Amino acid sequence: MKRLALILAGIAFPAAAQPTLVEQGKAVYDRVCTACHGANGGAGDRAPAIVLAGASGALRGERSQAQLVAIVRDGIPGTGMPAWKGRLSDDDIDHIGAYIGALRGTALDNPMRGDPVKGQAVFWGKGGCSSCHMINGRGSAVGPDLGNIAATRKTTAIHDALTKDRHGVFGDGGVHLPMIPPMNYEPVTVVTKAGKTVEGVMRNQDHWSVQMVDMSGMLHSFDRAALRDFTIRPGSVMPSDYDKRLSGEEFADLMAFLTRQGIKPKSGDDE
Amino acid sequence: MRVRPAFLSIFLAAAAPAAQPADSPAPGEWAVYPGSYNSQRFSSLKQVTPANAARLEVKWVYHVPGSLELEMTPVVKDGVMYIAQFNRVDAIDAVTGNVIWRYQRPPASNAAYRGTSVYAGKVFVATTDNHLVALDARNGAVVWDVPTASGRRLSGAPPFAAKGKVVVGILDQPDGFIEAYDAATGRHAWTWHAIPRPEDPEYKTWSGYTKEGGGAVWISGSFDPEQNAIIWGTGQPNPPYSNEVREGDNLYSDTIAAIDIDTGKLKWHFQTTPHDQHDWDAASGSKVLFDAVYEGKPRKLLIQADRNGFLYLLDRTNGQFLRGQSFIDDMNWATGLSAEGRPILKGDGAKPSLKGTLTCPSTAGATNWPSATYSQVTHWLYIHAIEGCGVNFRSSSTPGAGTSYIESPDDKTKWVSHIRAIDPLTGKRIWDVTEVRSNHYGPGLLSTATGLLFAPEQFGYITMRDARTGKDLWHFNTGDFITASPITYQLNGQQYFAIASGTNIFVFGLKHGGKGGAK
Repeated sequence: MKRLALILAGIAFPAAAQPTLVEQGKAVYDRVCTACHGANGGAGDRAPAIVLAGASGALRGERSQAQLVAIVRDGIPGTGMPAWKGRLSDDDIDHIGAYIGALRGTALDNPMRGDPVKGQAVFWGKGGCSSCHMINGRGSAVGPDLGNIAATRKTTAIHDALTKDRHGVFGDGGVHLPMIPPMNYEPVTVVTKAGKTVEGVMRNQDHWSVQMVDMSGMLHSFDRAALRDFTIRPGSVMPSDYDKRLSGEEFADLMAFLTRQGIKPKSGDDE
Repeated sequence: MRVRPAFLSIFLAAAAPAAQPADSPAPGEWAVYPGSYNSQRFSSLKQVTPANAARLEVKWVYHVPGSLELEMTPVVKDGVMYIAQFNRVDAIDAVTGNVIWRYQRPPASNAAYRGTSVYAGKVFVATTDNHLVALDARNGAVVWDVPTASGRRLSGAPPFAAKGKVVVGILDQPDGFIEAYDAATGRHAWTWHAIPRPEDPEYKTWSGYTKEGGGAVWISGSFDPEQNAIIWGTGQPNPPYSNEVREGDNLYSDTIAAIDIDTGKLKWHFQTTPHDQHDWDAASGSKVLFDAVYEGKPRKLLIQADRNGFLYLLDRTNGQFLRGQSFIDDMNWATGLSAEGRPILKGDGAKPSLKGTLTCPSTAGATNWPSATYSQVTHWLYIHAIEGCGVNFRSSSTPGAGTSYIESPDDKTKWVSHIRAIDPLTGKRIWDVTEVRSNHYGPGLLSTATGLLFAPEQFGYITMRDARTGKDLWHFNTGDFITASPITYQLNGQQYFAIASGTNIFVFGLKHGGKGGAK
């Protein structure tokens, strides 16, 4: 339940839009949209995700607010998306637009105050971030590359990753959206039948094989039949006390740096 | 692409098996969405066996341009595979994967559309401008094209053809219903409404609030020739989770309904989730019809693994509940079923709340529309079951307030998919395979006369399993999600298995299995 509250906080109070409009939009969305598009735009059993990975370019957040509102109002010919004009008030339609816009907003839309230049020094120095992460090709290949993190995550999600035991990209919306490639990086220990132990993080698996990255960043692909032991541990190898191990100013600077790492997709592009 | 009729007739003469009566799907074909009218998805084909399954290989892949995460089950008849989407049918040679013809009515659509039927020389498809169209199976020519009787758009449920009718469902708000058309002419035959009108006796099961309706019919069901009835399911009542405005059972939401195929009259009904507050559509689960000796007597039976987590065994001649139990380990909303098959709620039945209510199974369901199968060899039912919980919450305490749900954030109750073999007469779990990574919806299953279970998984792994033990005999990674159901058919001495994954149709067969086509 703790994480649920975080998820809700992340969704209900994003940048830019007024919370009241977004909250009103969420109430309307939850009444008329979830049956098809799922909670938080994460896909339902009748219609696709409208945020994050499973969505097409047109749906993923490359439409302006005005375009979004027009789609809700007029529907999309040739799809199951009905026109809501006449069935919802103009205000309700505007509020849905505000809510979906909020679901889609990322850290780039709301970079944190602080000194990004000093934050960069924290990233490469005291923070030790580069022992697992890369930016612009520098750093380690163990964890996710962070070169575009602010274009793909909300500010709250980045903040949570640095400060909370439990943090998940699924909290950005698309709560139960399956993802290819997987984004969980669970800590894993593998012991081969030859007696070799490899510690690292998960990349992928199936019934017959396991792919993991060891703590030096090297990829291993194992046949499960060749393993004596294979243990995935809950949680993350990522420390989650950066708000304590850094000073308040250092933490703010690091957030300022991270929330500027990314490239904003051009509006209107489609696949 | 269009093919000259002369070429087509040569092709049909060369590749098609002997003509079968139009009224029932033939062995070796897969002419309706569930393969056969009883929705067993059991094939009598015997070329692929547990002993040789390791020799399976990809025969061909057909890309469906412009599609998006296909949820569609292809059908095969007379040597041709038909791939249906809203406004569109692709007809391809089922041996080689070569396109024969394509029908595309503008605009292109990638809304979820789950398949079609081939019947009496026609293929049926719904359009986004609220029509139903019959195409000549030989060349894609429009035979008839009618506006829907309701004027409303049909759902993505596969048009289901039987006994001279094409039966279709409606999804659009506010209420769900079923329409039937004459397969030969397109003339509207009847409409059955899931949601009552004020003058209907069922209206009192809604405390007067049917304004938002529900009962969406978004997947097709079965046909029982002996009862002369289609047996289909309906969706949840609205508003879905915020239920105090519609006190009562809310008939016929979440209902398994037997409807006379000639008249559209309801013969019997069984409601799985009366007064649903979790969006557990009874439309979702396969309505599997089978005959067996139950409690000493030969019975005409129906088994359904329901989205609400219960397995229901019914007498399909009258809808009488015979037995039922949970088929999942984690259920927290009900303690069991009454003698009449009503869920016995635990407390308030996991009522959605402002702070969020842990609900097991989740709204995504203990199972969903991807198909179950019943093996005539093992006499077991095979299903995709999803363990884990959701959190259902509402945005205010006002009656009819907005609601939503998410996957449980707790590792112990996160969603995990399983392939399960269950004895339908006792509910006993025979074997269980925990899927890797897969967590909801997922693909359907089929079984064969040689004791095989074709069991794909959500993350793209196609697995052939021994139906008796669950042991995997062969596997293949398609590289994309699978949220569709598989088929099998035989042509030129080669047995094929086919399924949609991502935007492609994958077709498998034994290496050197047949005389013609791709080797």
